[in-house]
Amino acid sequence: MNVHAIESIRRVWIAWPLAALSTLHTALCPAAPPAMRDAATHEQLALQLRQAQQEDPMNRLPTAQGKDPAGKPPADLLSQSDILCFGGMATLVPKHAILLIPKAMAERTRFAAGCSLMGWAEFYAQNRGWITTVEVTREQAEGHEPLAADVTKRFAEAANLVVATYQGGPISVLPPKTPPPASAPQTEKNPP
Amino acid sequence: MRLLALRLVPLVLAACSLASAQTPVYTNFIRQFQTSSGVQWDASVAATGSQLSPLPIDSAGSRFELWTVQATPLTSYLLTSCFVGTYVPVAIVTLHSEDPYGPILRTRADRPFSVNIAVSGLLGGLTDPVSAKSVNLLRYVQSYGLGGTGVNIDRSQATLLTQASITQNGTQTFSYAVTSVPGANRAKVSGEERFSVFTLADYQAPVSQIASSYIQVWPVADGSLAGLTQGQLIRFSLPQVTVTLNDLYPSSTTYVQAYPGNPQLGTLGKTVPGSVLIVNDSVPQSRVLTLKDYDSVFDSEGTWTMELLTVTPFGTDRLAYLSFDVERAINVNGTVTTIE
Repeated sequence: MNVHAIESIRRVWIAWPLAALSTLHTALCPAAPPAMRDAATHEQLALQLRQAQQEDPMNRLPTAQGKDPAGKPPADLLSQSDILCFGGMATLVPKHAILLIPKAMAERTRFAAGCSLMGWAEFYAQNRGWITTVEVTREQAEGHEPLAADVTKRFAEAANLVVATYQGGPISVLPPKTPPPASAPQTEKNPP
Repeated sequence: MRLLALRLVPLVLAACSLASAQTPVYTNFIRQFQTSSGVQWDASVAATGSQLSPLPIDSAGSRFELWTVQATPLTSYLLTSCFVGTYVPVAIVTLHSEDPYGPILRTRADRPFSVNIAVSGLLGGLTDPVSAKSVNLLRYVQSYGLGGTGVNIDRSQATLLTQASITQNGTQTFSYAVTSVPGANRAKVSGEERFSVFTLADYQAPVSQIASSYIQVWPVADGSLAGLTQGQLIRFSLPQVTVTLNDLYPSSTTYVQAYPGNPQLGTLGKTVPGSVLIVNDSVPQSRVLTLKDYDSVFDSEGTWTMELLTVTPFGTDRLAYLSFDVERAINVNGTVTTIE
């Protein structure tokens, strides 16, 4: 080993902790610009706000008049969804998309802390064993048409949880708008 | 080997002194809401890309909402929404911040932000209905309150700040130097600013929100160093220092540094061991740290300055500082005499 090699090793040996510390510092401060300033105070920001209000960029547009049209904002997604949760995985489906929950699977409609959340397609792909999907039409989802008789008949014997889907995506199925014909046995009318 | 061990010590100490929070994980959902029927459909989508919805648009229009959901704690955030209907203009609201964090856009009470409003589909014919000729842009602000994080706030309580009419297709940019979220102490406001585009009502359809997006605003951090006083004379070991940190930005690295001399903004000093705090969260954090056994940093006599710094996507801010004198040398005055 020549002198130059030994010297270069010595330099690396001396320099590496500095390089490592520099890397660590860079990792800690990835976006740190060279400039440093004192944290902004209330007085500075109050002044800035007054100036900003005088120069509101929306003032260059014609002013719109009228009442605030924003009525009630969209409800929280969680309050509009049902949860499916099993095996450390969970997903959300629209409310009324779950058509059947067997008693043994009631626990699987509650979110367990620590579960990882995922989209329906990924969740269903890994939980086909206990979830059955039923494709519905737009009219059925809107409640204008009842579900097919053979489908509802299968619910009585189903051991799986049943989710309504439209083109593969979970869809809410609203209650029928036209009630089904009365199931009570009809009594034969006496001839006049 | 001993040299190697000595060289590893600073790194091990630095690593041990780092405290960080777990990065929040979000899952995105798109929901299609049929206005007239109330049916909801879950559109499973990839992280990026585009696709056509197989569910036909309702006669009264459909609203598409992009939500992101955090699993721990289970919380959902509406990122943006879009209304699609027959003969309805299209608008896209895009907000920009210096902080590249997503999916929920955020900034700080002292930093600027901007919004792009792109409108298309507006008509200009004499016989076209008024509702097809213009849309309204509305700016809302809402405070989260002191220490609030915005979870479960009632957004119907937002304050309408400005409303303007847009009558031409195209993209317009509005820049704001600071937020207008209400709050008595402007450095400590927290809340959100929302920009929404609404159609005008006509005989066929009511007023509809066709696009909306918001940005969260978090307070400016503050902090203090207790245990040392300005101008104090240190003769022996340095005292224990308590570092109080309030409202640290959700993406920040905060630390105490020391350097010889009087305070000089922009000076790069030595990091005090045990003072580095990394925050990687979705909401601001407040902590108290205790520094002790950090004498090794002060390797010379004289005046020293200790600074509390926080590094965020907006740059480096000095939160507190003080200077003091280190005088550990012992002077012995004596005389030597002989009997002669």
